[in-house]
Amino acid sequence: MFRFAPYVCKTLWRHRLRSLLTISGSAVAIFVMGFIHSVQQGLDRMVQGEDAQRRLIVFQENRFCPTSSRLPEDYARRIAQVPGVTDVLPIQVWTNNCRASLDVVVVHGVPATRLPEHRKLRLEQGQWDNFTQRSDAAVVGRQFAQRRRVRLGDQLTFGSMSVHVAGIFASDSAAEEDLIYCHLLFLQLAAGQSAAGLVTQLEVKVDEQTDPDTAAKQIDEQLRTGLVPTATRRKGAFQTATISDLVDLIAYSYWLSLACVGLVLSLVATTTVMSVQDRVQEHAVLQTLGVRPGRLMRLILAESTLLCLAGGAAGVGLAWLVLQWGQFSVGAEGVAITLRPSAELATAGLLVSLGLGLMAGFLPAYQASRTPLVAALRQS
Amino acid sequence: MPLIEIRNLTKRFRKGDEVITPVLELDLDIEPGEFVALMGKSGTGKSTLLNLVAGIDRPDTGSIMVAGTDLTRLSRGQLADWRAAHLGYVFQTHNLVPVLTAYENVELPLLLLPMTSRERRNRVDFALQVVGLSDRAQHFPRQLSGGQEQRVGIARAIVAHPTVVVADEPTGNLDEETSRQIQTLLQELNRQLGMTMIMVTHDAEVASIASRQLHMEHGRVATPPPTLTATV
Ligand SMILES: Nc1ncnc2c1ncn2[C@@H]1O[C@H](COP(=O)(O)OP(=O)(O)O)[C@@H](O)[C@H]1O
Ligand SMILES: [Mg+2]
Repeated sequence: MFRFAPYVCKTLWRHRLRSLLTISGSAVAIFVMGFIHSVQQGLDRMVQGEDAQRRLIVFQENRFCPTSSRLPEDYARRIAQVPGVTDVLPIQVWTNNCRASLDVVVVHGVPATRLPEHRKLRLEQGQWDNFTQRSDAAVVGRQFAQRRRVRLGDQLTFGSMSVHVAGIFASDSAAEEDLIYCHLLFLQLAAGQSAAGLVTQLEVKVDEQTDPDTAAKQIDEQLRTGLVPTATRRKGAFQTATISDLVDLIAYSYWLSLACVGLVLSLVATTTVMSVQDRVQEHAVLQTLGVRPGRLMRLILAESTLLCLAGGAAGVGLAWLVLQWGQFSVGAEGVAITLRPSAELATAGLLVSLGLGLMAGFLPAYQASRTPLVAALRQS
Repeated sequence: MPLIEIRNLTKRFRKGDEVITPVLELDLDIEPGEFVALMGKSGTGKSTLLNLVAGIDRPDTGSIMVAGTDLTRLSRGQLADWRAAHLGYVFQTHNLVPVLTAYENVELPLLLLPMTSRERRNRVDFALQVVGLSDRAQHFPRQLSGGQEQRVGIARAIVAHPTVVVADEPTGNLDEETSRQIQTLLQELNRQLGMTMIMVTHDAEVASIASRQLHMEHGRVATPPPTLTATV
């Protein structure tokens, strides 16, 4: 089979402009597909996972943006009385943008000493002590740090507040690496006098035997007599509900990626059909020399597949570079989906282009192998 | 025993209501080492007969035995394999693959046969030497003259040592001088390498290099009387 590889490559090279245009068109489409897929992957990562399923978020009822949810901090004590609840973490959330955005800044204010037990964070730079001992200190997720070029010891300014970067951390969860943690009290004070004693949300841990949804109901029940009514959900469900508009959009973007598939298919098929029509006589000559119809088909399929794979590889490579370099996170209302390149994404992109190449070449290849030789040779 | 035995061969073409029968109940034997010229007016079925013997077209009835193989019983794939091993086809014009060099064009048929790359190289070198184009091996078809292109085509047809070489008006597109060179070459291949050849031509002078001339008319072949060959 590979004895004919030079023939296939030289044929593609002969029409290099045509090949190049087809490859770059496919590359763009595969790039867009990769990008869309990475948003979907980011969403999946956020919603699945142990924490998203087992932890609960208590939020003010009918509120969505973190700036509008205000719960008394001492709700934590009352929640702790609900059976099955093992721990409650009060969190004040600040975000630069409540609407959908590609560059979200989300700051979580938490009791500093309790952070390590609630989040599996590994400090890559800096020290925990420096964070806990300084009231305006913050630890920054490494994805955010990379995107905004933040370094240890920097002074970071958001809105009216300014924090000291005491550490940069890594986490197994991509979403965590996009966050900034600072002291709860610091963020409460920054939000103004009226915010003292109030938090945005409370994060609840329940024990293994307790069903999270049952506990959530009991918490809302328990707090119904309080000043502020609450809505409690699993963390994953809370996040999806918060960015539900975005989730819908992501669902629609699936159709966009299908359109990309169609685009690649028609592009490569058109090129292959053209190239086959140009060479009706050449293919008849090859068959006269003894090339079997099946081999002729494989030669044409090899052409279309090479074009498509080259486009796919370029698209995947481009997507990888852009995702790695841009460290994007798309989000709204203080919840962000992080976009990351992944081996799974790259493999999927290459497999899709392989499949598309075979599909695009099939019809022209079949036709070429079925053309009666004598009639084809007479076309001169 | 004849190398090629054609019996009761008929080929029809249908164009709407019209039926053309360029080959009708034809019988023909060709001995090994013969050089047969197939002559006749345009449209008498010379190419049709040649393509049937070459196994690139199928008859409606009859049989074509070549060295003991009945071509009419082979499948499409088997016919392709048979052509690779037993047939050399010299086309009228421009039938080299444009993206490949002269060397690579001649090598093409060998890629289909089980052979070491060393043996392939020896055979291609030899074939190019036979047609006198060793110095043009790395040229592309567009860098060659019409006569040189045709000689590369001939090298490609003989490189696999085929059982039979067929040629359809091999000099039809060449000027007189070049045509004569090609005729000489074909004659040498037949006389010195003993290749069995069937050549279609409507030119009596070209046909005169063959060892036997056949005239095609009304779907059959006949040996023309000497006077006729001289005047056509
Ligand atoms: N594929 C075909 N379809 C229909 N008619 C054909 C086809 N091939 C040949 N013919 C007809 O068969 C007759 C013989 O053609 P051909 O063998 O090419 O003649 P020659 O080579 O002697 O000039 C012609 O009338 C031609 O029109
Ligand atoms: Mg003809």
